[in-house]
Amino acid sequence: MALGPVDYLILVLYFGFVLGIGWLLKKRVSTSEDFLTSGRSVPLWITSLAFIAANMGAQEMIGMCASGAKYGILTAHFYWLGAIPAMLFVGVFMMPFYYGSRARSVPEYLKLRFDEKTRTFNALTFAVMTVFSSGISMYALGRLFELVLGWSFTTSVLVSAAIVLVYTYLGGLTSALYNEVLQFFLIVLGFAPLAVLSIAKSGGWEGIQARLKPVMTHAWANLGSASSNPMGVEIFGMVMGLGFVLSFGYWCTNYLVIQRALAAKDMSSARRTPLVAAFPKIFLPFIVIAPGLAAAALVSQFPSVIPMKANGTPDFDMVLTSLMSSFYPSGLLGVGITALMASFMSGMAGNVTALNTVWTYDIYQAHIRKNAPDSHYLWVGRATTIVGTALSILCAYVATLYNNIMDLLQLVFGFVNAPLFATFLLGMFWKRTTGNGAFAGLISGTTAAFFTWSLTVAEGKGGILGNVHEFGSTMAQNFWVAIMAWCTCFVVTIIVSLMTKAPTLHELKGLVWGATEMPETRHEAWFRRPVLLAAIVAIICIALNVWFR
Amino acid sequence: MDLRLPAGLFFSAVGLILCLMGLVSSGKPAPLTDINVNLYSGAAMLIFGGVMLWASRRKA
Repeated sequence: MALGPVDYLILVLYFGFVLGIGWLLKKRVSTSEDFLTSGRSVPLWITSLAFIAANMGAQEMIGMCASGAKYGILTAHFYWLGAIPAMLFVGVFMMPFYYGSRARSVPEYLKLRFDEKTRTFNALTFAVMTVFSSGISMYALGRLFELVLGWSFTTSVLVSAAIVLVYTYLGGLTSALYNEVLQFFLIVLGFAPLAVLSIAKSGGWEGIQARLKPVMTHAWANLGSASSNPMGVEIFGMVMGLGFVLSFGYWCTNYLVIQRALAAKDMSSARRTPLVAAFPKIFLPFIVIAPGLAAAALVSQFPSVIPMKANGTPDFDMVLTSLMSSFYPSGLLGVGITALMASFMSGMAGNVTALNTVWTYDIYQAHIRKNAPDSHYLWVGRATTIVGTALSILCAYVATLYNNIMDLLQLVFGFVNAPLFATFLLGMFWKRTTGNGAFAGLISGTTAAFFTWSLTVAEGKGGILGNVHEFGSTMAQNFWVAIMAWCTCFVVTIIVSLMTKAPTLHELKGLVWGATEMPETRHEAWFRRPVLLAAIVAIICIALNVWFR
Repeated sequence: MDLRLPAGLFFSAVGLILCLMGLVSSGKPAPLTDINVNLYSGAAMLIFGGVMLWASRRKA
């Protein structure tokens, strides 16, 4: 596809606005906490939209559309079974401890609740993972623009990274949050016409149902056994693996998203951040998955909507851009490409700002220089922004040379992340959990993940130590690796905690259920009551699951 | 800073550009549609931008 002058004008206009927002927010930064945690002063509507926007990186947008074309409405489980319940849980039950403990980051909560080694393990793995994942998405974006628009890989990687660097360097987390909201609007307004046009072209929902096999248009009907649906996952693996372990692990413990809620101005706003965010989140499948589903319905009539790879298999990652060039004329095409760029930037800024804080407070201040004046940590935070971006760019280039290294790293990070939610669940809701228990649980959970993967095979992956079981897909394998890791961590944490000395009630004040006063909201207006908001979202979510069953 | 002001300005500007594109070069639609996509989505963005601007003015 070729962009016209108007398309470039829109892209440049967007660049101007994000840089301008960063420039205007520069004067709000005078301490390290202003820069790294927004000084806990951001309005609720901004933290909420940033909460979901930070997760809407370019890879997610391209991947959800691809998955819609490949698996159909089953993809919606990532939202209606995975993200939404986890977002409700973190808002209602976990935020009182995160926000109430005054921890500046998720690893710092682990330090307050458990000990230094648990914090450091979490901080180090998070920091490395963040750099690599932003490098990988940079690589994906550069490759896509090279393929679709003919832009040079180096130009798109360097220009987009430089813009993110400038606005996060100037205004810190506040600038990242404000821009994420602008990016969220742009992603929705830029992608929504694609959903409307492609679904209308397929003859609406009835037309899509008539054109596709029932397995593509039902989310629950074909989960009875792994062989009856294209994802190759059965209902237990789906609900427990994706719905519980992986989604709660991401939305409830990943500092990338929690950081957005912690920037809120008070406890009530922090708790409501994921809950208010859940309202738009629940409808995102209609914008990000629906075009892929429509492409699958249209492909027999218009083969060009799903391009082929050189080896003759469908290239689902190209569906989003091929739909754009099919439905968008010059002008809106510029908005679509800019929206894709915006999604990349919101994802990358999320990574950069989370890395900043974890590096500065949880690694540098904890281990390298403890009692420096605050201006020093502000300097470190700013320097980390630059170093982190540079390392991400380096990773993007490493990915162009050794794609397998990146796959391997993602696999290893999956092992490390899988057990995390068990640690937080026990830490927040069981007073008896000890630091040694948590650490032993994390290590053994990660080990269990490795062995589960090594002893099972899916699509030729895994099984380096043997083949005890064969999964129908790598997705099913991922879910089961996570389930095994979670269960191991849960059990080991309990056993080791019971064998070690119990923490005193005094140490746990404000950190654990039963040792913390939960915020009283019964007399507040309805829209200020977290439980009520969560109930409304839950009803909508259940209704959608029933409707698309 | 009130984000509604820059957001309102940005989407009004983009909406205006798209509406103009829709009115001027409507002879060149995209391959799979005959609808004047630029005009309609431009109008939607113009309305969104306008609401944002109105909201930021109302508070000030």
